[in-house]
Amino acid sequence: MKYATDYGYEIKPVYGPRDVEGLEYERDLGDPGRFPYTRGYHAQGYRSRMWTRRMTAGLGSSRDTNAVLKKYREMGQRGGICVIHDRVSSSCIDADHPLARRENGVLGWPGSSLLEFEELMDEIPLTGQSITVLGCCAPSTLRLAYVVALAEKRGIDLAEIHGSVTESPFGNVFGQTDVQPFDLDMKLFLDASEYIVRNGIRMRAGFVGQHFQESGGNNAQALAVELSMLKEICGRLVAERGLQFDDAMRVPYQLVSIGTRFFEEIAKVRALRRMWARMAKEHFGAKNEKSCQLLIAVHTSGRTMTYQQPLNNIARCAIETLAGAMVGCTALDNATLDNAYAEPSALAAQMSLNTQHIVAHETGVADVVDPLAGSYFVESLTNEVETAAYRILEEIDALGGLVAAIGKGHIQTMLKREANLKFQELNNKERLVVGVNHLVIPPEEEMFQIPVQAVEGSDSEAIAQRMADWKKTRNMAPIETSVRRLHADARKGDRYNLMPAIIDAVKAYATAGEILGVIRVARGLNYDPFKLIRCPFELSK
Amino acid sequence: MIGLDSHTTGAEVVATLLRDAGFEVVYLGTNQTPAMIVNAAIEEDADVIGVSLHASNFALVEDLMSLIEEHELTDVPVVCGGNIPPKQIEQLLARGVARVFPPGSSGDAIVEYFAGQARRT
Repeated sequence: MKYATDYGYEIKPVYGPRDVEGLEYERDLGDPGRFPYTRGYHAQGYRSRMWTRRMTAGLGSSRDTNAVLKKYREMGQRGGICVIHDRVSSSCIDADHPLARRENGVLGWPGSSLLEFEELMDEIPLTGQSITVLGCCAPSTLRLAYVVALAEKRGIDLAEIHGSVTESPFGNVFGQTDVQPFDLDMKLFLDASEYIVRNGIRMRAGFVGQHFQESGGNNAQALAVELSMLKEICGRLVAERGLQFDDAMRVPYQLVSIGTRFFEEIAKVRALRRMWARMAKEHFGAKNEKSCQLLIAVHTSGRTMTYQQPLNNIARCAIETLAGAMVGCTALDNATLDNAYAEPSALAAQMSLNTQHIVAHETGVADVVDPLAGSYFVESLTNEVETAAYRILEEIDALGGLVAAIGKGHIQTMLKREANLKFQELNNKERLVVGVNHLVIPPEEEMFQIPVQAVEGSDSEAIAQRMADWKKTRNMAPIETSVRRLHADARKGDRYNLMPAIIDAVKAYATAGEILGVIRVARGLNYDPFKLIRCPFELSK
Repeated sequence: MIGLDSHTTGAEVVATLLRDAGFEVVYLGTNQTPAMIVNAAIEEDADVIGVSLHASNFALVEDLMSLIEEHELTDVPVVCGGNIPPKQIEQLLARGVARVFPPGSSGDAIVEYFAGQARRT
């Protein structure tokens, strides 16, 4: 058995005052609401605003996913929705693409046109709750355009809508591979972010440290990567898009993963708040205090949800949710007991949402801000993970920042090494996971078969066929006009913002494959990332 | 990695595990179609085809099995790994998949199986 943090620092049997020697309350912690925000941003904590309790949805057709969102509302999910794309629309190809026909609606929502978004959001309010849509960077501009278009159709003031529909391009290298090239993802992400800031839209962009950690990264690495993502993007928004840093900081929120290493997870998030506050002030010269307050949402770790004895995952989910609540998050979405099988069944979703409601209302955890502050162990862990993360951050900086470090393969190597190490620790029983490498029972002795949601090949085919049929019914004139404008704009250089042209094309019901395809052509790439279909439009040379 | 699935960690960890155990591993990466996998297996004279898949794009494995039969490659066992529910494991085995390793499978079990099927370098 290993007594060490997941980033390899020794854990002692007991902690005391000497472990936090040199800790100065005002400088290093501060009251909640005071710099450096280690203890959180709100003096009253959850008393002033409870965290948004939500579940991820996305499976089958848009109408299927809409029904799930309505079901979640009945289950008490009122603060916000969270939808994830399927792999097809994450890749920005259409449901009727030859490679998509078997995969539509698998592992997410098939969101490759405004029509799909309209069906997804049917009878679901765009305001009064946060609208979050995740799933790769490439569709970020499209998702933002869907929101803009639907708001206009419903006659809603865009300023009334909040949430997050864009996602930073780094998931691409953190085990969430994207078929679109990194530089294109980055360009489109900056376009969407700049558009959000310049138009005063209250939509955030997901900086998904979760992907990195779920792919095997440890807590210190995750912290370093999360901070370097922020540093890189904020730096680019300032340097390349001419935004003030304090405006650029209206864009990001960090989605962190919380696993079962209870105290380490809490220390990580406390350190993240402190490290960001210092970076905002010292590196970026933040003038607005808000810019020092990084918005943090929590995803309880899907990776810790075991395939074996899935009911055990209820306990894991509860422990992780408790940690997520204790760190003072803005929103939390849970993994579910069937995470190793499929997207959540209604039963699993209800259990996880109720886990959040139980933590919020029954445990008293939400009554007091940052309840573990001052614990010798937690403060010591917070300092340690910060030190370990600063070391990694320095390495990344020395390589020229996160994009450069990725270009040199540094981050990928670090992540692979760590994923292998984690696997070996399990294999050698240095870390025990009940039902997996400890107290294992044969599958036939499983007492309870959980219901599993499945998307059949025929469901995927039906989504493909609907797309193919619908495409033929569209009024092509406005589509042709809008994609020609998009093509022309996309040849005006990386800093020319494509959002207005994309919004036009989306409103005309051009699809994800068409919009990204035309942008690709303008950049000298194949219309189709898989080179299987041809560009259906006549574009100027 | 078959289909559009992007969860690479499992496949990469298993590739490393097998390489460390002395097997030659040709890791094809993401976005592989059944045809690409079959072509690679022929070109590389593979002893075993390992397919990583996440959740429910099992229909693609069925396409792969049909293609393997067409190319008379049925002496090359197909092994699947990933988040595969028991019902689908049964279906995959019935369709001719030789073995399925769900999450939590031990490294020893994987290496032991491959040792019985494949040459070491």
